[in-house]
Amino acid sequence: MKLAKKDLNKALEILSAGAIVFAPTFEMIEDKSEGGQTMAEKKFMPYKEGMFIALDGPNTVKPPKDILFPNVEKMYRYKTGVNAEIQEIIPEDTKKILFGIRPCDMRSIDSMDKVFLTKEYVDSYYAKRRENVVTVAFGCTEPERTCFCDSMGIDPNNAPSADVMMNVAKGSNGDAFILEAYTDKGKELLEQIKSLDGGAGEAQRDTKCQLQINKDPELDKKLAGMFEHPIWDKITKGCIGCGTCTFVCPTCYCFDIDNENYGAEGCKYRCWDSCMFSDYTRMAGGANPRPTKKERLRNRYMHKLSYFNERYGETLCVGCGRCVANCPSHLDISEFIEKATAADPNAETYTDAPGKEA
Amino acid sequence: MAGLTEAQVQDRIREEAKKALATGEVSAVVGWTSTRFEDKTKPYFAETEAECDLLVWNKYCINGTGKFALDDRYPEKKIAIIARGCDSRALNRMLRDKQLKRENLYIIGVVCDGKENAVCEGCQHKNPLTYDVLIGEPVEEQIDADRFKEIEAFEKLSPDERYEYWAKQYDKCIHCYACRNACPACNCVECYADQYRTGWQGKAADREQNQVYGLTRAYHVGDRCIECGECERVCPMNLPIMRQTKKMLKDINDLFGDYECGLPDDAMPILGSYKLEDPDEFM
Repeated sequence: MKLAKKDLNKALEILSAGAIVFAPTFEMIEDKSEGGQTMAEKKFMPYKEGMFIALDGPNTVKPPKDILFPNVEKMYRYKTGVNAEIQEIIPEDTKKILFGIRPCDMRSIDSMDKVFLTKEYVDSYYAKRRENVVTVAFGCTEPERTCFCDSMGIDPNNAPSADVMMNVAKGSNGDAFILEAYTDKGKELLEQIKSLDGGAGEAQRDTKCQLQINKDPELDKKLAGMFEHPIWDKITKGCIGCGTCTFVCPTCYCFDIDNENYGAEGCKYRCWDSCMFSDYTRMAGGANPRPTKKERLRNRYMHKLSYFNERYGETLCVGCGRCVANCPSHLDISEFIEKATAADPNAETYTDAPGKEA
Repeated sequence: MAGLTEAQVQDRIREEAKKALATGEVSAVVGWTSTRFEDKTKPYFAETEAECDLLVWNKYCINGTGKFALDDRYPEKKIAIIARGCDSRALNRMLRDKQLKRENLYIIGVVCDGKENAVCEGCQHKNPLTYDVLIGEPVEEQIDADRFKEIEAFEKLSPDERYEYWAKQYDKCIHCYACRNACPACNCVECYADQYRTGWQGKAADREQNQVYGLTRAYHVGDRCIECGECERVCPMNLPIMRQTKKMLKDINDLFGDYECGLPDDAMPILGSYKLEDPDEFM
């Protein structure tokens, strides 16, 4: 179907009747002090009447993964002592529509589905949220300079696993969109807004990423043999060991489980964890098999580019570029991919200035 | 830059870096190198003569270099740090806090004319304060008349308005600890926030725990902040973190007189020491 841009809010209005619609927008925080300014953050927020929908332009700073896998998820409440009891907390049964998710982020949901729903274990919290979510993906129109999803095998114009795929209509100058249902859930969704259908049209699908990187197609296998390679020492030195890359990453899914205690009552919750943190692998006795940022960053890159391939048959880095854009030290996973592609896997030493060594 | 062009400074940096490595007493020289983006550089450890030629000097050299000296607290060799004014203050901070030993450092000071970084506008120390060798001619320092302007404006808001502002800011926080890891005053061997089992700091990134972290961080570094602005620069969620430490510094300046951290003759942190003549009107 064809949807005029001016009808976008109408469409979300209609869809909001039966679901919470999450769409990319700018959250404003006003600074009331003299000379203060309003700060805006692009993020997925529940649709409210008249909300500005920021479909194009850069992607959101944080990925929409927390809609399926919240940053903090309460799992059960308990009472201790003589009247001990446990009360499970089940995620609410609310239909959600994820509107305007980019193909890179859609692919990240595919990866999370594999983690939480396959290999003989189904995470009930994730499963409950996942079955209630309908995805409307939007083909990128203005990739950022840090975007390299097409080098990672993802088409920035198309998200095959989305329920509905939405692209700018050819020749419309961005004033109209073509929506195509890929699944039954998607057909149902389009049925709801068919009163806004402006007829047939062709989708514009010619976006290419700005950043094209040179990646060994078998990099996962090559890296599997490079665990002790001297490249790790070199490329991890500039890291400051914060968790930014993991928390802005759409495919980082590690979590920790902890308690919140108030006297004889409490709550068990799980929350995002980061393999960049010192306590991630720290044992109760204090020993830590990943004592420095070298081992931690190596684990992150290996997980994205090799370990996940081994277990699930696909690369975990989707090339969204968020870690590249947000790293305080301006480290760049795409640069690492190129360096590892070029590196001799059996080298005894590694330098950034090759050919000049004595 | 007085005397030297950008390219000349870069040449001098490479030259001094090579000299330092050639002594055999230095394991690496920490400076900046280029990235694939013209307007970004990244911290870099040059460990060979050839790698020294990858060091760059331009207006995008914004990352602090001082904190990297803490990566190895018991080094076999010295570490050389290319230090602007702010980086030298960072090193002074860690020396004052007894986290580093001066004999383990080789400091290549570079007179800095400000970078593409908002915090540089209020810089009062373009000349490195501590160094073993200095590149560039020292320039006259400026006093920043607007040092606490933002704080004065913010103080005029009501407590409720200020609370609402910070609550919204800390709702954005993702608990990545970039502000802590970039901060030269955050130099504890083990941060309280990493000791989860103690129950001091919860791991959940919710309003409550984020604010606990924000407050603890601000109070802990407040009287030791060198105003390098790294906390605010590195924050992926754009929290105005400097506003907290600046408030602490402003109050200290109001109560105790001129106070700036990271100077070579730095006294004890003012809230970490006690004198009989300290003001106590509030008691």
